[in-house]
Amino acid sequence: MLVVVTVVFLLIHLIPGDPVAVILGPEANAQQIEDARRQLGLDRPLPEQLLRFYARLLRGDLGQSYFLDRPVTQALWERAEPTLTLMLSALVVAIVIGVPSGIVAGAYQGSWWDRGLMTLALLGVCVPGFWLSLNFIYLFSVRLGWLPVAGYASVFQDPVAATRYMLLPAVSLGFNQSALIARIARSCMIEVLRQDYIRTARAKGLAERSVIFLHAFRNALVPVVTVIGITMAILIGGGVVTEIVFNIPGLGRLIISAILRRDYPVVQGVVLVTAAAYMLINLIVDVVYAYIDPRIRYA
Amino acid sequence: MAILRLIVIALCLAASVADAAAQKKGGVLKVGNLGEPPTLDAHWTTATITEVLAQHIYEGLYSLDAKAQPIPMLAESMPAVSKDGLTYTVKLRQGIKFHNGKELTSADVVASLNRWGQQSTYGKNLYARVADVRAVDKYTVQIQLKEKTATVVISLAIPNNSAAIYPKEIADKFKPSEKATEWIGTGPFKLVEWKPDRHIKMVRFDDYQPRKEPASGYGGRKVVYVNELLWIPVPDAATRVAQIETGELDFADDLDLNAYDRLKKTSGVRPIVAKPYYWLVAVFNKKEGLMTNQKLRQAWQAALDIEPIMKNVAGGQRELYRMDSSLAFVENAPWHTNLQGLPWNEHNRDKAKRLLREAGYKGEPIRFMTTQEYKWMYDFALLSKQQLEDAGFTIDLQVVDWATLVKRRNNAKEYDAFTTGIGNFYDPTHHVYLTPNWPGWTDDEDINRLLAELAGESDYKKRFALWEQVTRVFYDKVPVARYGDLFGLRAMRGHVKGFDTTLERPRFYNVWLEK
Amino acid sequence: MPDGVAVNETAVLAGASVPAGGARTRLMRRILKNRNVVIGGWVFLLLVLVALLADALAPYNPTRLYPAQRLKPPSMQNLLGTDEFGRDIASLVLHGSRVSLLVGGVTMLLTSLGGVVIGLIAGYYRRLDIVIMRVMDGLMAFPAILLAIALMAVRGPGVWNVIVSLSIVYLPRTAMLIRSTALSVRELDYVIAAQALGRGGLGIAFRHILPNCMGPLLVQGTFIFAYAVLAEAILGFLGVGVPPYVPSWGNVIASGKNVIREAFWVSAFPGVALTMAGLSLNLLGDGLRDTLDPRLRRE
Repeated sequence: MLVVVTVVFLLIHLIPGDPVAVILGPEANAQQIEDARRQLGLDRPLPEQLLRFYARLLRGDLGQSYFLDRPVTQALWERAEPTLTLMLSALVVAIVIGVPSGIVAGAYQGSWWDRGLMTLALLGVCVPGFWLSLNFIYLFSVRLGWLPVAGYASVFQDPVAATRYMLLPAVSLGFNQSALIARIARSCMIEVLRQDYIRTARAKGLAERSVIFLHAFRNALVPVVTVIGITMAILIGGGVVTEIVFNIPGLGRLIISAILRRDYPVVQGVVLVTAAAYMLINLIVDVVYAYIDPRIRYA
Repeated sequence: MAILRLIVIALCLAASVADAAAQKKGGVLKVGNLGEPPTLDAHWTTATITEVLAQHIYEGLYSLDAKAQPIPMLAESMPAVSKDGLTYTVKLRQGIKFHNGKELTSADVVASLNRWGQQSTYGKNLYARVADVRAVDKYTVQIQLKEKTATVVISLAIPNNSAAIYPKEIADKFKPSEKATEWIGTGPFKLVEWKPDRHIKMVRFDDYQPRKEPASGYGGRKVVYVNELLWIPVPDAATRVAQIETGELDFADDLDLNAYDRLKKTSGVRPIVAKPYYWLVAVFNKKEGLMTNQKLRQAWQAALDIEPIMKNVAGGQRELYRMDSSLAFVENAPWHTNLQGLPWNEHNRDKAKRLLREAGYKGEPIRFMTTQEYKWMYDFALLSKQQLEDAGFTIDLQVVDWATLVKRRNNAKEYDAFTTGIGNFYDPTHHVYLTPNWPGWTDDEDINRLLAELAGESDYKKRFALWEQVTRVFYDKVPVARYGDLFGLRAMRGHVKGFDTTLERPRFYNVWLEK
Repeated sequence: MPDGVAVNETAVLAGASVPAGGARTRLMRRILKNRNVVIGGWVFLLLVLVALLADALAPYNPTRLYPAQRLKPPSMQNLLGTDEFGRDIASLVLHGSRVSLLVGGVTMLLTSLGGVVIGLIAGYYRRLDIVIMRVMDGLMAFPAILLAIALMAVRGPGVWNVIVSLSIVYLPRTAMLIRSTALSVRELDYVIAAQALGRGGLGIAFRHILPNCMGPLLVQGTFIFAYAVLAEAILGFLGVGVPPYVPSWGNVIASGKNVIREAFWVSAFPGVALTMAGLSLNLLGDGLRDTLDPRLRRE
């Protein structure tokens, strides 16, 4: 974790460009900029700034945003809801589309269902998410006018509007991931169906459907759960572009504008939070995996 | 005859009654912004977005009317000037309340002006000549100058980086170089909450005292009809356009010029051409590097075929640009010049090639900095590059983000030219690109001399003659290359009424919603 | 971006070995018979051909502006239409393939080489391993796109910077792959025997470890190629990739985003090209993985 923090800090401060000059506006001159720099502590040597950063971090203080006149933690908190909503919605979409597709494809391997779904899945992996978003906007918002072009409404305040705003972003983000989930689900399904105990169940005369659902399904689910965990982690990154295309006021948009404005504390804050979340998710996935599959539990 | 007159009067009365009844109170007006303002402290920055927001909650002693002339706002009337021109006495209006209920007095004015004088560009420009600002009595302020200048009242009236009057407590609490984080003013709106990246919410200030004169320009009578003014940051230009089309926004500014055609055809939406907006300019580094050579600058100017560039930047729309060589906009009536025979838009490639030869140019790359964050900057830079290269220049186009551009343009080693837009300057002495302290470092002895004379001269006719001379010298020395005037695009939903479309920057008082 | 999944799968394959002699030719033949490899391979070759011959194939100079021809729909003069500066879209797409393939290819090479070096060192020298693992973990904790954006902000625009940034982002994945192979191979009897016989580290590396990695490395490399092509487009789309006036698919899609209603063709065609590139590489990767991993091979 220490590495992460240091890397982040160094990275950000290496970026050329001056936040102060941007804040002051185009007509500021060199003297005003110098004064403001001193005030923000940007003129101290880099190692000193790094140490102060660590010190504050230990206290749980992520610093003050240059542009937003408020603590970074608060800025992050305000934007967490849209990002989380987007990610969860995309995950739901991915699972709802991916799991059944994969299971069906795997169960009826070699059939038209299988071929069709897998071609769709292949497209899902290859079509760039941001391009898909643009096409969706063009089709559903511009031409058909069914859904709003962009924006965000909070689920807690207006669930109906929230759904309308979130539909296109969630689907375009989730579509990519659903393809992955579908493929994994399919290969797991195939794998499981070949197992002996399935043959036994079939031999026992159980109906095909119950064979699939009762036995194969549950076992196929194990790796799928892992993939879902990974998907969550990937969505953190993929969400950035989606947030920008759909103008969702989340962490992704925050970090892009912070990088452009050289708002160092905010960039550091967002990167740290996302890295921490990433690690946390991986940890949870490992734990869940071990729990579900006793064969893999660490000695 | 008398009956006819009576009928006419009756009709007029009926019309005005109908009109007055039509101004409905109430509703929420949703405005789409370019992004988040760096601050709401008017003294602190020249950023346009801060200016627009601040001018709804703050006021200054003076304001500008429709002819860009200063008129009183918080001051009772124009100041009394002593015979020697060194003392300005301003009487304040009485009974003006701040948003926190406190009454406006001269103590607040003095504290605010002194803060503005140390931080604002225009403030510092004025205060270089100011000896002292003090309160004579509760409602009278006196400004004592070191030397005569014609720019006192206009400086106090400029809406950008303005001399907004804060309560003394706030002006004292936040040092000039700090951004004030409490926003109390005397304006017709008051700030209720600022949620970054979500919205900025303002509501009607019920104790606002409007002036009696009719609204004119940024001054005069201001009445707030809407209950709430909601500013929503929508950084993506395409999204702003889309949201005005669907009605999610009532008003959107800084729209993509390509949308003009479409918006004209959309029912329920009224596109507005915002004039003036910016004139496009390539600023040259005259401190170091290739562009210190005047002949190279003149060659650049000679090579440009400005109209096709402007047309393309304006999305192919004739209504969205204007060809003009004056350094002050057409809308800035007092200072607009109409000179002939200037070497502007000559598109003379042979002349350019000749000048390049005379300059001894050997094809060294010229670092031309621009950004995509302002699309029009990138557009005209790319189009210029092609024209210049066809004339023999070698252009190294460096596309960076705005933060980097703003930082680099202060460093003489990092560039040879950069793109920007020049907005409206209300006084000839405020044109920053003619001064040595602004990026580009225009330090021309002729220009300096003329500007100094302009600062000290108070007769308008003489000042205008000097200004015309400045313009001629400008086109000879070419400190920056002036392109054409670009207009902006705004759009408004049909139910928004009363909006003054002639203003350079939007104002939402005197505006009502018809539902 | 499906990076996590591919890692898992190919990491799992680290045990697959490439047989010698006659078995190798048989393997080659099987690879070439695989349908995915064939389709993906041919399309990819087509792309390479297009990139090489772009100058000859393109009807116009893609960087020449024709302001009077802005936003013209597809016609006889401009088969795919023009963009807002009058540049020919067909020429832009053809030349854009160069950037994409260059970025994809060099990134793949750099990550493979770098991954091999770092992976071998980590697998072999226990003490360095710990340090390297920490750093790699730290880097992998960031969502790829965020890290790429931050790196680009530090380095500034430019093709080379994009390549280096993306290489840094994807390096850990290859390194981990090589490392796990190295670790597992170390324990094999004949390696221990070789060590006992006095064979040095490097010799073992080249003789035993590398050949075992070839398969997974190739598969991994193909997918990294695909990710890099997509990432370059995303960076270009966000405005932090190659300079905007350099023809690249991401740049053209970005410029089309603003005029999507008036001129949907600007964003549409480069997106199709991008999808095809991704498709061919993914098919190729899938095919290679299918043939090189005995477990997933369909009998």
